[in-house]
Amino acid sequence: MADATGEPGWLADRRAHAFDLFEKLEDPDPKGEEWRYVDVRGFDFSRFQPPRVSPEAPKLDPALQAKGVIYVDFATAAREHPDLLREHFFTEVPVDEHRFTALHGAFHSDGLLIYVPRQVEVELPLEALRRVSSGGSVFPHTTIVVEEQASLTFVDRFASDESPQPALCASVVEVTAGRGATVNYISLQEWGRSVHHFQTQRFTGHRDATVRSLAVNLGSAFARTQVESVLSGEGSFSEMLGLYFADTNQHFAQRTLQSHNAPHATSDLLYKGALKERSRSEYSGLIKVLKGAQGTDAYQANRNLVLSEEALARSIPQLEIEANEVRCTHGATVSPVEDEHLFYLMSRGIDRVTAQKLVVFGFFRDVLDRIRVERVRDELSAAISAKVEGAQRLEVAV
Amino acid sequence: MAEKLLHIEDLHVEVEGKEILKGLNLSLDKGEIHAIMGPNGSGKSTLAYVLTGRPGYEVTAGKVLYNGEDILDLEPNERAQRGIFLAFQYPTEVPGVSVVNFLRTAYNSIHPDEPKSAMAFRMYLQEKVDLLEIPTELVDRYVNQGFSGGEKKRNEILQMAVLRPELAILDETDSGLDIDALKHVSSGVNKLASPEVGILMITHYQRLLNYIRPSTVHVLMGGRVVRSGGFELAEKLEAEGYAGIAKEIGLSEEEVAEVEGQRV
Ligand SMILES: Nc1ncnc2c1ncn2[C@@H]1O[C@H](COP(=O)(O)OP(=O)(O)OP(=O)(O)O)[C@@H](O)[C@H]1O
Ligand SMILES: [Mg+2]
Repeated sequence: MADATGEPGWLADRRAHAFDLFEKLEDPDPKGEEWRYVDVRGFDFSRFQPPRVSPEAPKLDPALQAKGVIYVDFATAAREHPDLLREHFFTEVPVDEHRFTALHGAFHSDGLLIYVPRQVEVELPLEALRRVSSGGSVFPHTTIVVEEQASLTFVDRFASDESPQPALCASVVEVTAGRGATVNYISLQEWGRSVHHFQTQRFTGHRDATVRSLAVNLGSAFARTQVESVLSGEGSFSEMLGLYFADTNQHFAQRTLQSHNAPHATSDLLYKGALKERSRSEYSGLIKVLKGAQGTDAYQANRNLVLSEEALARSIPQLEIEANEVRCTHGATVSPVEDEHLFYLMSRGIDRVTAQKLVVFGFFRDVLDRIRVERVRDELSAAISAKVEGAQRLEVAV
Repeated sequence: MAEKLLHIEDLHVEVEGKEILKGLNLSLDKGEIHAIMGPNGSGKSTLAYVLTGRPGYEVTAGKVLYNGEDILDLEPNERAQRGIFLAFQYPTEVPGVSVVNFLRTAYNSIHPDEPKSAMAFRMYLQEKVDLLEIPTELVDRYVNQGFSGGEKKRNEILQMAVLRPELAILDETDSGLDIDALKHVSSGVNKLASPEVGILMITHYQRLLNYIRPSTVHVLMGGRVVRSGGFELAEKLEAEGYAGIAKEIGLSEEEVAEVEGQRV
């Protein structure tokens, strides 16, 4: 791989090291907390073709470029900004976290580096589109560094056509928000139904930083999304939103971490999901408050709306608190669509599917209202509508 | 002769295996206002629900014709599209769905021949809001969520005014209203009333009937309409309660005891 892409030695060495790890590491344990109910033992990696290098280079407004903003692929980053890449690549997420991060470390194929210098505000969202072909694999890496008092919104989109052959995505996202910086990161997982998606996102907020994340799962056969927010600076704030809608036999597993490492930080998490047909979802969320993180304010809620009797949603909230002056609340609910709601709406002339749509939108309302990128909000509304209508009735090939 | 707007014959209805309506007869013509009175648990709301198609209400015998059409196999929305409306005794809260959005969707479903754009609907809705003297901000809130008891009832009448039904069933819409709200609600109902519309009002109180004069008053007891008459029947009930009628119609001692002491 190293030769083919003309990577510098250090990057090639890291790949080799990651590959060793991948060979050595055990498969994640479905009985452990992190992979509870997700059994990937015996997952056959060999059935996917190796990744192809993405042909498209990211585009950046010259005005931003002039201000020192960097938005490049890893090959360019390795050539033009080697120190920056070395400093931030795989530093937030350890390569040995589990087999899928190791695999990613060995094969990362679509690396993007985004850097915003001090006090520069990037007003319009930057976007990336990640693709995979039928039977293929892709290993997108997103490294975002936003310096002091700077701001950025980034939309990371994962989309492919419906394809007959199973495909694989193992992705890592690392985001660092400097002192007083603001970062909004949105991942839209809209893969075709034969993709297996594994993703780890980690956010680190320094003093008074604001980090907002939105993790969307709509596509794929199976998706495991791990979103971790580390509040490492005093007074930092993290908003973590999740929106998922599973149908047919889709299976989404979501793991979140709110790690309060510094005093007077606030984290506010809301994950909401709807489930149709025989789909499954797991949510497991940990609030961790380290010793010394006094004045922590942490909130966590996971709500599930179940549209069919065969669908299954599980929710496992956890708390680990070592500080003594904290405010933590967490709650989880799994509820069916109320017949009473449907009857009330239908008694006003609204047909059953439209009534369901209203109820589902009503359910997602508070998450949708908190999405700051209007286009994303509209797109998600349309996707939710289509899901309720059952536009994608394809069985998932596993 | 023209078909009756609503014709109910020997209607038997079970809920969870228990027979609630036991041979109910009732007919209503366009332009008429009927009141239904009856003790708690006598089956008034059951009648309202079975007419609107609520799941769980099983018709075991009898028929319901609406403009001559058997409606018992129709979905609730199909009945609404034909002009049937129920103002609920206990309106349902629907989280995250705004009144305005809900009502526009409903309006366009019921009047597909004259759909209204978001803007046009907003203006149309405002007219009705002003008419009923409802606080404007209510329509931007989520349906019935956090509404006071009286606001919920007024929101039902707002929906009625917006949707312009041909048969309006009001299930204790007057309960829990203060005197001003009762006047607004009554004027809303009176505005809807026309030679083309039938109204069925379920109530416990003669108070409402002073504002909306019924042409007929029915007494529902033991799952049947046991007495029908004019306004004087309501006055008699207000004065004597239900026990007298219960004895007259030969209900069992037990059944009489059940309604005894229940205020009208
Ligand atoms: N879902 C249900 N399950 C069991 N019993 C029911 C159900 N719905 C209604 N009933 C019973 O049917 C009977 C009639 O109820 P209904 O609500 O029609 O009475 P009502 O005349 O409207 O009384 P009220 O004046 O209190 O509103 C009651 O005994 C009630 O308990
Ligand atoms: Mg009732």
